[in-house]
Amino acid sequence: MSEDWDPDEVLDLLSDEYARSILAETSVEPMSAKTLRDRCDASLPTVYRRIERLKEHELIEEQTKVDPDGGHHKVYSATLSSFSIELADGEYVGEIERTDRASMLDADDTADRLTYMWENL
Amino acid sequence: MLANTPIGWAILVVSFAATAVGTYVAYQAYRGYRRHQSRPMQYLSIGLVLLLGVSFVSAFFGSLLFRGGVAPSEYRRPFTLLVRSFQLLGVSFIAYSLYRRS
Repeated sequence: MSEDWDPDEVLDLLSDEYARSILAETSVEPMSAKTLRDRCDASLPTVYRRIERLKEHELIEEQTKVDPDGGHHKVYSATLSSFSIELADGEYVGEIERTDRASMLDADDTADRLTYMWENL
Repeated sequence: MLANTPIGWAILVVSFAATAVGTYVAYQAYRGYRRHQSRPMQYLSIGLVLLLGVSFVSAFFGSLLFRGGVAPSEYRRPFTLLVRSFQLLGVSFIAYSLYRRS
């Protein structure tokens, strides 16, 4: 994952109420944009705009979920674990910790199990 | 005629089965890549497709052309080299995917 991010931008993003509640909701379980619209009481375009910005900073991850009827839809899960700002020697140093992707792998999915296996060889 | 001896048919059936199973594994690797943007899975799936799909399909159609007399037999060895090269490229992709961290 890229670590070249701007603390200003992340602070700005996290100061947004909708971005924060999207992160909060998706940290519990993967959720679709429509579910997030209802949970966060925001319009769908707002939800999508926040998701885009959160994705840019790798604070959220997009997954494609296959429905039993063969269709599929996108769900999002938070990858942010902690964000901290440290002030030392006249400058701010921001640090982002992200959750391990392994926790997001679906144990019932062959492709996920193969990914986990292969990446951890 | 694709094969005219029992062993000829057996080779054909086993090769098809290996390609089918290999393609299934390659497909799962590709899904892993799509779901998680995992580079190792991308290289694994490319490697498997080259190793099992491309090399088998080209060997199969190549041998048809040679047997049918469409392709001159002096190309047989260069053609074998081409198929082996696909296999080498395939295993190289798989080996690289082991080193490549996501």
